[in-house]
Amino acid sequence: MVRSALGSKRRIGESPPGYAPYIPALSVVAASLLSALPIISVSGWYPDFAFLMLIAWRLLRSDPFPAWWAAPLGLVNDLFTGAPIGFSVALWSASVLVLDLADRRTMWRDYWIEWVLAAVLIVVSKWFEWRVAAWGGADVPLANMVPSLAISILLFPVVAWLVLRIDRWRLAQ
Amino acid sequence: MTERPGWSRKAQYGLFFGLIAVVAGIIVGLVLLAMSLVSPASFERIRGGALDVNASIAGALHEVTATVGGLASGAGNYWDAARQNGELKRERRLMLQRMIEATAIRQENRQLKEALQLRERSPTAIAAGRVVGSSFNSPRRFAILSVGASDGLRIGMPVRAAEGLVGRIIDLGQQSSRVLLISDRASIVPARLLRGGQPVIAQGRGDGTIDVRPLEVGRNPFKRGDIIVTSGTGGLYPPLVLVAKVVRLDDDGAVAIPLADPATTSFAIAEAPFEPRAQEISAVADMAPERR
Repeated sequence: MVRSALGSKRRIGESPPGYAPYIPALSVVAASLLSALPIISVSGWYPDFAFLMLIAWRLLRSDPFPAWWAAPLGLVNDLFTGAPIGFSVALWSASVLVLDLADRRTMWRDYWIEWVLAAVLIVVSKWFEWRVAAWGGADVPLANMVPSLAISILLFPVVAWLVLRIDRWRLAQ
Repeated sequence: MTERPGWSRKAQYGLFFGLIAVVAGIIVGLVLLAMSLVSPASFERIRGGALDVNASIAGALHEVTATVGGLASGAGNYWDAARQNGELKRERRLMLQRMIEATAIRQENRQLKEALQLRERSPTAIAAGRVVGSSFNSPRRFAILSVGASDGLRIGMPVRAAEGLVGRIIDLGQQSSRVLLISDRASIVPARLLRGGQPVIAQGRGDGTIDVRPLEVGRNPFKRGDIIVTSGTGGLYPPLVLVAKVVRLDDDGAVAIPLADPATTSFAIAEAPFEPRAQEISAVADMAPERR
């Protein structure tokens, strides 16, 4: 981190540009927009990119965006992914709150603990998504959710790495 | 947010109000979710707007992928062209024979119907569009179609492709619409077996396949390779549209694969409901989904 800061062309004492604090939120919105990709899947196993992005940012830093931004970001995600409105609003706000509590409780942090935390949140999110689908009249068997759950959990480190790269880039600007 | 930031009152209050705001976010989210589950029509306008944005991006990207894909498969088609040509010529001869037979049967059919004074209602196509996207990260099965309210579409209209039934419209933007695919768990299509005409129910399984069950309890009527067609019961879907092909039997029914694969159908056509009143009923049914 220090080395990458030294690589910056910025003069010492100069702060990152004015848009830098908004990059995390914008990257989450960009991940929501990935649902506009012309992928036509009959299985629905792709991960919820924006949710992975959100928790990756929140695990990397304690202040990527004010915590209450989770609600409007979730609304944007609901609108673009076609989930029932309010689903991501509630889920994302609750996830941010849980991660705040986790920040207090965990004595130390390493990659494994972050992955486990993310995995727990992903499991809860998939379960909630499954319940919401059932309330909406589509009670798919829970076993159908397992492949997408596994894919999301396995993909999380990749998203976390991507977020780390974006963070370094925005601070080195 | 829950950590004590130090002795600064301002910082402490800031964090406390942040916590309140997040809890408020959760509550607002749950209220919105309850509203959108109980009455999906409440956010129709805003969802339609987002759908238009989504579909315009997806449509533009779809052109690119279709062009690239077309180049690749186009090059592949030249490979082994002579043998394919011979095969196609042979197939064409067979098809011509079949076509003549079919024309004869159709004429006979018309004469019989005239004799019985049956009136045939031909379904009217409203608009044809491309399938440009799908709900690829959700247990629900939706597709995005590149035609919308400005093309005359209404919520509840059935959508079909040349290969078979695709689904029905549930969300409407100005230039795009969201289609509930027949493989979604919430989609139920009244259908029948093409062989024998036994009435069956086709319900999606949420993973791209369809559950088919006979309406009457008894011996399992399905065989592998059976074709399921719509029955026209209920009046929403026109009769005799191809739905699915049976691939596996289970204890009291079978698992089938939709014949119209949304990933490969280039065009889908939205039609007026077979019976005009069915659309109103289906729209009302969409607004009050069955609670479980």
